[in-house]
Amino acid sequence: MRRALFSLALLAYPRAFRRRFGAEMYDDFHRRSRGGGDTIRTLGTLAINGFAERWSAIVRWTWFSNATPHLYQPQGRHHMSFDTLRADVRHTLRIAIKTPVFTALTILALALGIGATTAIFAVVNGVLLRALPYRDDARLVNVWSFNTIENRPRNPLSPANFLDFQKMNTTLDGLEGYFAIVTPAQLRADSGTEVAFSLFVTSNLFNMLGRSAAIGRTFAAGEEAPVVVLSDGYWRRRFGADPAIVGKPVMLNGRPVQVVGVMPRDFVFPYPGMLGPSGFTRVTSIDMWLPIAFSGPVAVANRMLTGSGEVVRSAHWWGAIGRVKQGVSVPQVDADMKRIAAQLEQAYPATNKGWSATVVPSIDQSVGTIRPALMILLAGIAFVLLMASVNVANLLLARSVAREKELATRVALGAGRSRIARQLLTESMLLSIVAGLAGLFVMWWTLTALIAFAPADIPRIHEVTIDWRVLLAASLTTVLTGLLVGVLPAMSSATINPQASLQDASRGSVGSGRRRRARAALVIAEVALAVAITTGAVLLLRSFLSVTNVNPGFDPNGVLTFQMNLPPQLTNADDRLAFYRDFFARMEALPGVVSVGGTTRVPLGSTSVSTSLQRESHPLPAAELPEVQFRRAMHNYFQAMGIPIRRGRGFDSNDISTAPPVAIINDTMASKLFPNQDPIGQHIRIGSTPSGPWTTIVGVVGDVRHGGLEEVPLPEMYITYLQGPPVSPFIVMRTAGDPQRLAEPVRAEMRLIDKNVPLYDMRTMSTLRSDAISTRRFVLLIVGAFGVLALGLAAIGVYGVMSLIVSERTREVGVRLALGAKPSQLLRMIVGQAAALGAIGVAIGWLVALPIGLLLQGQLYGIRSIDPATFVSVPAILLLISALAAVVPAFKAMRIDPVEALRLE
Amino acid sequence: MDRFRPESFLPLTPVAFEILLALADGERHGYSILQEVEHRSGGTVSLHAGTLYRALARLLESELIEELSEAPDPRNDDERRRYYRLTTRGIAVAKSEVARLEGQLAAARSRRLLKGARA
Repeated sequence: MRRALFSLALLAYPRAFRRRFGAEMYDDFHRRSRGGGDTIRTLGTLAINGFAERWSAIVRWTWFSNATPHLYQPQGRHHMSFDTLRADVRHTLRIAIKTPVFTALTILALALGIGATTAIFAVVNGVLLRALPYRDDARLVNVWSFNTIENRPRNPLSPANFLDFQKMNTTLDGLEGYFAIVTPAQLRADSGTEVAFSLFVTSNLFNMLGRSAAIGRTFAAGEEAPVVVLSDGYWRRRFGADPAIVGKPVMLNGRPVQVVGVMPRDFVFPYPGMLGPSGFTRVTSIDMWLPIAFSGPVAVANRMLTGSGEVVRSAHWWGAIGRVKQGVSVPQVDADMKRIAAQLEQAYPATNKGWSATVVPSIDQSVGTIRPALMILLAGIAFVLLMASVNVANLLLARSVAREKELATRVALGAGRSRIARQLLTESMLLSIVAGLAGLFVMWWTLTALIAFAPADIPRIHEVTIDWRVLLAASLTTVLTGLLVGVLPAMSSATINPQASLQDASRGSVGSGRRRRARAALVIAEVALAVAITTGAVLLLRSFLSVTNVNPGFDPNGVLTFQMNLPPQLTNADDRLAFYRDFFARMEALPGVVSVGGTTRVPLGSTSVSTSLQRESHPLPAAELPEVQFRRAMHNYFQAMGIPIRRGRGFDSNDISTAPPVAIINDTMASKLFPNQDPIGQHIRIGSTPSGPWTTIVGVVGDVRHGGLEEVPLPEMYITYLQGPPVSPFIVMRTAGDPQRLAEPVRAEMRLIDKNVPLYDMRTMSTLRSDAISTRRFVLLIVGAFGVLALGLAAIGVYGVMSLIVSERTREVGVRLALGAKPSQLLRMIVGQAAALGAIGVAIGWLVALPIGLLLQGQLYGIRSIDPATFVSVPAILLLISALAAVVPAFKAMRIDPVEALRLE
Repeated sequence: MDRFRPESFLPLTPVAFEILLALADGERHGYSILQEVEHRSGGTVSLHAGTLYRALARLLESELIEELSEAPDPRNDDERRRYYRLTTRGIAVAKSEVARLEGQLAAARSRRLLKGARA
């Protein structure tokens, strides 16, 4: 086995070198490897040296053959083969110059194909393949709580459970925690207060990730002091990249906090996928990191401790990331964490019953959601490239037919068939290498455009660059394309019969049967590929249309939304309510405002939060309580959003804190939790504590698509802000005209109310709605472009081949016409022939499209993967295209003058 | 190549120089050169077989080393083993390379790049 591998690596060396040193080298290798060491690496180096030797030998033999003495003489075949290559290259260049348009078009087509393919690969590489910006990132895993009762495997941890996982695990070299929510922090500046998005992390997190600060330092182990580390982006944006900021204090949430460091530009933590489903804001890019500890004032302020001073075990908002020990696998870590979770379940049944654990590699956690979409793009572009190659192969084949006499002459003069085939392959390789170089520019442009138009929620899109892997992919694509394009013409030319071809001089070339079959195969392949790719594109298009037609449950037109943070000095409910009363009154007074409301979770634009719920009519043990989505409605929220009130009433100004607590629920909750009952007047209690007042349901509103347009609405309840005012609500304003025009008046009014209340994340609900499908739109646009390209390429391909066939059959057509064939019969014959080829292609394409539909399943919405309409219409369209593409050549055939055609004889 | 000028081979590649050094105290076969280089450098220089034999080929071509027609010790004779030794040209080139390196070392010392300045 090792001997075989060695011999394989040795093949890289020139034969003479192998003969002279091979035995010695094997002996050395044999002795060496007994001492251990990395065999593969050794053999790799061996092979690389071999190629280097080969290359330098080629260079010396060819260009400096007299200048240096040679240890081993170039032997016949090697010498010949390189001479041949030179001759072939020269010949190719001569032909290329003689047919500049053909050459340019071919190179252009291939360059576009190779460039676009490589650009898509660059995106896949940057997003999916490249290492995360942490040391030895392959060993990082995210640890989650697994809510087995509701089957939610990636639930945040509670801080107490996190500590236990950290202490009890035996498979990790360190587990660090962070808040799985982004906290809008208020930064005091001269111009007023602004919001900075901060993340609490355990002090050792940066060390565990293996990253240090670009300027200053990260947190010391166990650091609890009021310090902050800034992100590179925020440091540039907010502090003008001033290095002197390190060591200075900033006013954060009303107290001085010292800046201790700035992270490097490439550092990202967390990726959006590492955050939990709940949170205060939809923003996921972090401006600053703050240290969190399990005791002290910061822990208290962040509700980390219970009333009796213990670390909280019941609330889940922690993320955890750990480093797997050397030699331990992810499933082993997963088993370890599940074991700990089971122990905790035993020890703390009240809080931990039903909670297991999940371990996910951090790369999957970061980009797992986008992987299918990118894979679709990669597969799509591969199909397009394949089609472009087939088209070029077609052109080359046609040309090799035209050159049949040249080739036949060469064969007659003694050129071997393999020699001819090699000449043709050299041609196609050369074309594709030039195209590959031109493709680098195409790639660069395409990549720039892709990054610019990519939706913001594609993770890591800004980490996409051109690296060695992309260049390697580009060269591999180039070589493969060259082979693909050249193989058919080379193979078909190998059957040239010089006698027949040369005798036939006056007749022009009638392609041999084999070549005609090759050409038919190309047409069929092209139609099949086009059917497959267009089917995929149409499936995505139909899904996109279904998603667009989804009723979000509210009316997004004319609604402006933004988030704001209440001043920290408003610590009690009465002060906050007073603030809101004034705020809503003044906002409603702005010209153009129809109604104003607010909520803690804006649909399509924020995270979600859920709570367990008790029903008076249906008591259950704590662990079996249903989970419902939970939000607050402020002021005229339902009117402002256009959410219909189905039954009962909305909140009104009498539902104050001293009045009985009330709630409004959505249709889904009404039908799921109160089937066959009138939900109005039912009593519910939020949470699992079996004491406290009951809340009365006073109304039912329509379902709203909160999580996304494609997500089925969950049971959801609203309580009024008057019975618990929030601190960082989303405000929604229904306006009479363009909501964007109110942006400035709203900001101005807010500055008048209190310049220290920051407004941020301001956008229209229509934007939110269209952002909710941006990734889908992005994928659709690209795949749609592929589909259009595929149709075009198929049409061109069929047209090209049919024209060729017609021009080859000019004489035959002339004879037929002379013998009295009607032109319409000719039309039928030629179009019929094209349609027949098309039909075979369509049938094969149909079979290819079936699995494609299944692969796309995850991306489809509202249609089945084998959508009858798509699977009938696409093949029909391609059949039509292949018939139509033959019409022009057919008309040409009908206009053939029999006299002229026969005179050619 | 009428007149032999050792300077025309300078500077030697590090690998070539290592080989010449290894052969300076007598003939060796390829594997023994590898071992010698590794041993002398205390394991810090590790020659790869591919690199070694390419360098050997170049040295043979330039006739700085030559191949022995038979093994020096018949008991060790192994048909796969070929022994190499320095030619007079090889010795001359190695010497001029040493002189060149000494010149560089002296320059380094005088500029205090190297400890133990004696210049």
